[in-house]
Amino acid sequence: MGSASDTDEIPEPSGPAGKDRPLTVRGKDRRRGRDTVLHDESAVSSRDVLANAGEDLAHLRKWEVRAAETKQAASDDHITMLQQANANLVIATIEAQKLAEQVQSSKAQLDHLAHHDVLTDLPNRILMHDRIGQAIELARRQDRQLAVMFLDVDRFKNINDSLGHTVGDQLLMSIAQRLVECVRHSDTVSRQGGDEFIILLADVEHAEDAALSARKMLSALAQPHHIDRHDIHVDASIGISIYPDDGQDADSLIKSADTAMYHAKENGGNNYKFFEQDMNARAVQRLTIETDLRLALGRQEFLLHYQPIIDLQSGAIVGVEALARWRHPHRGLIFPGEYIWIAEDSGLIVPIGAWILREACKQARAWQNAGLPPIPVAVNISAVQFRHKDFLENLTGILKDAGLAPRYLELELTESVLMHDADAAVSVLKDLKAIGVRLAIDDFGTGYSGLSYLKRFPVDTLKIDKSFMHGITQVTDDSDDAAIVAAVIGLGKSLNQRVIAEGVETREQLAFLQARGCSEGQGFYFSRPATAQKVAELLRTGIEGVVGAPKAPTQ
Amino acid sequence: MATSARHQIIESLMAPHTENVAEAAIVQWEQLAAQIISIVGESGFNALYARSVFLAQSTFPWLAASSSSPQSDNRFAELRMNLEGQTPAQAIEANRLLLITFTDILASLIGEQLTIRVVRSVWGNDDQTKSQHGVQK
Repeated sequence: MGSASDTDEIPEPSGPAGKDRPLTVRGKDRRRGRDTVLHDESAVSSRDVLANAGEDLAHLRKWEVRAAETKQAASDDHITMLQQANANLVIATIEAQKLAEQVQSSKAQLDHLAHHDVLTDLPNRILMHDRIGQAIELARRQDRQLAVMFLDVDRFKNINDSLGHTVGDQLLMSIAQRLVECVRHSDTVSRQGGDEFIILLADVEHAEDAALSARKMLSALAQPHHIDRHDIHVDASIGISIYPDDGQDADSLIKSADTAMYHAKENGGNNYKFFEQDMNARAVQRLTIETDLRLALGRQEFLLHYQPIIDLQSGAIVGVEALARWRHPHRGLIFPGEYIWIAEDSGLIVPIGAWILREACKQARAWQNAGLPPIPVAVNISAVQFRHKDFLENLTGILKDAGLAPRYLELELTESVLMHDADAAVSVLKDLKAIGVRLAIDDFGTGYSGLSYLKRFPVDTLKIDKSFMHGITQVTDDSDDAAIVAAVIGLGKSLNQRVIAEGVETREQLAFLQARGCSEGQGFYFSRPATAQKVAELLRTGIEGVVGAPKAPTQ
Repeated sequence: MATSARHQIIESLMAPHTENVAEAAIVQWEQLAAQIISIVGESGFNALYARSVFLAQSTFPWLAASSSSPQSDNRFAELRMNLEGQTPAQAIEANRLLLITFTDILASLIGEQLTIRVVRSVWGNDDQTKSQHGVQK
């Protein structure tokens, strides 16, 4: 592999040496020089030439190494740059992937939020509507039935008002959880808002299957909910509609279930009802009453009647019970039984109840101002009012505004109100006693009273429910009703409480009560509920001949 | 098909190691890291690895996210610790998922064929892929 030419071209080496020396050495000259060096030229001169050539070769090698190093360095730089570029591309692409995922996830979250209830994370009204629509399509194709259940928690507003919204929210979450546990995976539980839930049973063989589910739910909800140191007991009312009988689309099925739910509630709650066609008319009526109730206070359509409470020994009027009446512009006088439950359910009982309290206190004070004997006025307090967090404060304000001494106000509470959360009730009752108002247990004997609690409730009066009086027809009556009345009178005496018998309508009933030492009575036999003006007259004249000779009120 | 070839190579790494799973896994990762770093640099590898761990965490929440700037000498210290804390079966499953996830991402960036070349250059061909390779020839 010799050179093509006779001359080896040597690239110019760098460095100062290159400048002073010839750049080429001719090959032939080299060979010839070796021949002639011994003969023609001096030894010194030959060594110089060889030395110079060696130096050139060393320079050349050094330059080659340096060139290779330069080339390697350039290549390394290039690889490093490529790596950096690749790294940046990898990082940028991964970041882009992350961003795309975040966008996707945000979209999914938004979609979830749009279709789920924020508090319970259950499907909301929109999603439920969609699911019922799909289930109807499927049921129609397969010629099957489905059930829609409308569930409303009984007296949920009481809990919210008395224990606060935080506890109320936690309770709703607990309820949601229990409902979900009661249904199959293919069913849907949704929250409509407030304390209303809709449950879709996507496939029911018979209507009885839905009833079974409803019973299961009521039973699950009835177990105490342990929330924030409270043991909360809740009941619910459930309305059930069945496709295809009660509606052909989601809206009508929900409406039918809603209507049936109100019937369940009207029947006292804690039960379920299947939709029936004639429920619609009543549903309309209920809605009308609620709408009218909202306007009634502003239109001053409420008025109070007062029923005297009589001392059964002296015949004197020793108190009155205030009874609200609603003077409806079209329907005439409406009694509490027809509207109070709607007022309680809608929360309107709070302003209506406050109005009743205020009017009763003002009236009691007005009678006193008119020089009539001071008597206590008894006012019924609903569960919603009693558990309202501002109840005590509002009551104090009303008494102050009316200028009525608290001892002339008696609050009547039913057993069920007190026993619903007996420990909390004891606490509120003590506060009420502390401000000086009197306390009575109304409709005593119809509910459940734990006797141990009865001892702890600081009540002044037991009012025997009028239903027991109906069974008493003679003074020596030995019916069950008579036995209960006698027992309650004895209980009241033992606990040093006044006992008032309600619903006294006959001479025989009065005689029975007198014979057993009942202290007071109330009923048509003495007086029907009357206007304030009429009661003022009675207070002046006394009620003639009820327990013997007519007696004026005791001072 | 190409994806399945890559997965087979990874699968072949898993089978023989029923003991010292963590140690074997770390060796595999170090081999892979050396190769990947030569292509996409340290930061590129770290980004890929961190992403793989993040994605694998949804299946194996105990896989810790890699530290913010892992050093080359203890890049896989956390992985080693995590794997050692698990049963061999769990550790193998997690490592398999992590490797598949890593190479999935790599394939999405540089293509399946190139990824397979990289994977083969790191761990060599398993028998099956060798035979497939022979058939292709």
